[in-house]
Amino acid sequence: MTAATPAPLGTPIVRPIHHSAAYAFDTLADAREVFAQRASGFTYARTGNPNVAALEAEVARLEGGECAVATSSGQAAVTLALLTLTGPAKDAHAVVSSRIYGGTVDLLTDTLADTGLEVTFADPREPQQWEDALRPGTRVFFLESVANPLTELPELEAIAEIAHRNGVVVIVDNTVATPHLYTPGRHGADLVVHSATKYLSGHGGPLGGVLVDTGSFDPTEDPERWPWLTRKHHRWGDRSPVEVYGARRAVLGVARCKYLNDLGPCMGATTAHEILQGITTLGVRVERQSATAERLALTLAEHPAVERVHHPRFGDPRQQQLRETGGYRGVGGVFSIDLKGTPEQVERAVNSLRLIKLAANIGDVRTLVAHPASMTHCRLTPEQFRASGITERTLRVSVGVEDEADLTADLFQALSVIAPAHAPQPRSASTTAAR
Amino acid sequence: MTRTDTRLPGLATRAIHDGQQPDPTTGAVVPPIYQTSTFVQDGVNRFRTGGHEYSRGSNPTRNGFEEQLASLGRGTRAFAFASGMAAEDALLRAVLAPGDHIVLASDVYGGTFRLVDQVLSKWGIEHSFVPSASASDAAATVLPGRTKVLWLETPSNPLLRVADIAAWAQVADDAGALLVVDNTFASPALQNPLVLGAHVVVHSTTKYIGGHSDVLGGAVVVGDTEWRGQPLTELIGFQQFAGGAVAGPFDSFLAARGLKTLPLRMERHCSNALEVARFLRSRSDVLEVNYPGLEEHPQHDLAARTLNGGFGGIISFRPAGGIDAAHAFVRETALYNLSVSLGGVESLTCVPHSMTHGSRVGTPYEVPEDLVRLSVGIEDIEDHLADLDRALNAATSGRS
Repeated sequence: MTAATPAPLGTPIVRPIHHSAAYAFDTLADAREVFAQRASGFTYARTGNPNVAALEAEVARLEGGECAVATSSGQAAVTLALLTLTGPAKDAHAVVSSRIYGGTVDLLTDTLADTGLEVTFADPREPQQWEDALRPGTRVFFLESVANPLTELPELEAIAEIAHRNGVVVIVDNTVATPHLYTPGRHGADLVVHSATKYLSGHGGPLGGVLVDTGSFDPTEDPERWPWLTRKHHRWGDRSPVEVYGARRAVLGVARCKYLNDLGPCMGATTAHEILQGITTLGVRVERQSATAERLALTLAEHPAVERVHHPRFGDPRQQQLRETGGYRGVGGVFSIDLKGTPEQVERAVNSLRLIKLAANIGDVRTLVAHPASMTHCRLTPEQFRASGITERTLRVSVGVEDEADLTADLFQALSVIAPAHAPQPRSASTTAAR
Repeated sequence: MTRTDTRLPGLATRAIHDGQQPDPTTGAVVPPIYQTSTFVQDGVNRFRTGGHEYSRGSNPTRNGFEEQLASLGRGTRAFAFASGMAAEDALLRAVLAPGDHIVLASDVYGGTFRLVDQVLSKWGIEHSFVPSASASDAAATVLPGRTKVLWLETPSNPLLRVADIAAWAQVADDAGALLVVDNTFASPALQNPLVLGAHVVVHSTTKYIGGHSDVLGGAVVVGDTEWRGQPLTELIGFQQFAGGAVAGPFDSFLAARGLKTLPLRMERHCSNALEVARFLRSRSDVLEVNYPGLEEHPQHDLAARTLNGGFGGIISFRPAGGIDAAHAFVRETALYNLSVSLGGVESLTCVPHSMTHGSRVGTPYEVPEDLVRLSVGIEDIEDHLADLDRALNAATSGRS
């Protein structure tokens, strides 16, 4: 044994990366208490790690939530949420936005459909469609706070009111908006999911997801509807999840200690660290990306090769109203355009981009374009594709933080394949902010 | 098109794309981290694409960062080192010989002074201080025929004095010497010394370039200057290879990632710092505020000419109540942590006299013992002002 050394006086400004699979205990009694979840602590890095816990706490704080669980990808966060809320139900049904990321559609209509989950799609701008889709087994409404890729803003408060009147939990994917621009928990969301790969990380590096519980859902208000959360079970030491975790943390307790533990889609320490470091610049990045996206959308709307711009700025009066007074500090760095011309011309325009990269991601500091029909939404059925509003001539733009003039120049030279036009002067000096 | 392909893309665009093109083999949007010491050869000295042999000589991740940094600094090449001091040491070893003399601006970083005064002096390098930041004082300090380097840091640490780089460059040219500018405080986002006539730029990339306080590094950026019959690019490249104080691949990746948001972060650092400086100036319990963005700063007009788009994120000030108030203030802040270093997204305080500039104590260039340095981060401005207000009230008890 060495003599106890005093704790060092300085603490690192940046948290150390804990690359450790397991955690040591001084005594078996301590280990027993933590493993039995009677005391808090880390056991094994699949269900917890100090870096991952720090990321979870930070995202929960940003979203104004109770608690969070980080996962290996955004897809895993959505999966954990849906399994926890619908997995054990025999009559599980979800109403899901028709304007949603293609990967989520695959998950819902194929993989989770195999487990018995049934899905009805509804337009996020039409609350009545959500009311009409309700069934006795409906447990979940799922929608995006800014839709990917066509950027429709949902009637979240009205949809949440329908949900809560009918004992349904509202899950909002806040990936495109980010908590810097919009906090769904203030507008009726019970759970918030993120692909942390996107704006939270911000540099196109690590994959990750986060599931946040805003603390508004309480399964004990209708315990018979949620028996797997409210009834005793040997899994929870002959207690119920509500007893073990508390009513407002039961969903994430089960998500972590059952599904994350059993299925294993956990986040690594380095990934959590990198995403946390990314979050330190979240505000400056998304403010710039949101502002540049809006200016590019305005510029492209006047371009002769552009049929239509999908950005809330060009939505109907209700979309304008939501953008201005619906709680958004900005609508994010993603927008889409429908091009004129033949599919071959669209393809040549995409291939002509130089600065802007063709890649299936958003939220990077680099500007990226995607062709949703061929890439992110390529597995939609013809009916789903029609309902999505995407066409073969739709391009999604995820705006980075480059100088606006360089982006405009690259888009204009590429679109000249369809119709030449002169790039205008930048609408305002985006990189030389007045002081 | 109003812009032609020959026009240099904007700074923010170059920060993201130059040297950081997607990986050609896989298309990975983020270039890979080549965490390797050595590279296989297809025959003796038959190297594969890029000509890499051993990572001390070259490594694709480090080279990508160097290319990105050279582009932002408008240099021909940049060289990345393990720390800012390693970069300075390599530079001075590459360009100096025993018997040479260095002219140092009076408030260069304490570590630079220590390197010259305690390490290089043993190898026959002599130095003199210029009593001010003025180029005419620098000219008077030059030893004709012996002075080979003029070393300038502007804005200076911690007093935020601003020097006329172009005038210093003229002094260096007249003396047949190199002007080295430590551009750590302004960063390539605000100031471009090579364009103003300097011959060499050095950076502690630990600061604004890395930007997230998670990597140590340094860099030397040079143009096409020839020195003692050889291009500086070759002299420094050889020193980097032969001396070996290189930045590692992972550190280069982190620094390159930080550099991508440098222009964006620096805008917020500048706007926050200006507000904080104005707030401090408005306080009756603050005796002195040093920030080039304030109109009353003695070189405000010069700073407005040489700094492009802002006045940086560093402020120093003296609270009423002397050293006790200064020490109380840095204990009382909550958003601002007490630490050496600067330039990260998070705000830091420091008392230079006792911390970063201890090597100056007892010299004519000792900094005031009650001087507090702020590295103003990019948090919300309301949180800055609330924290500083509370800490000042507690530290000075309303003294004025």
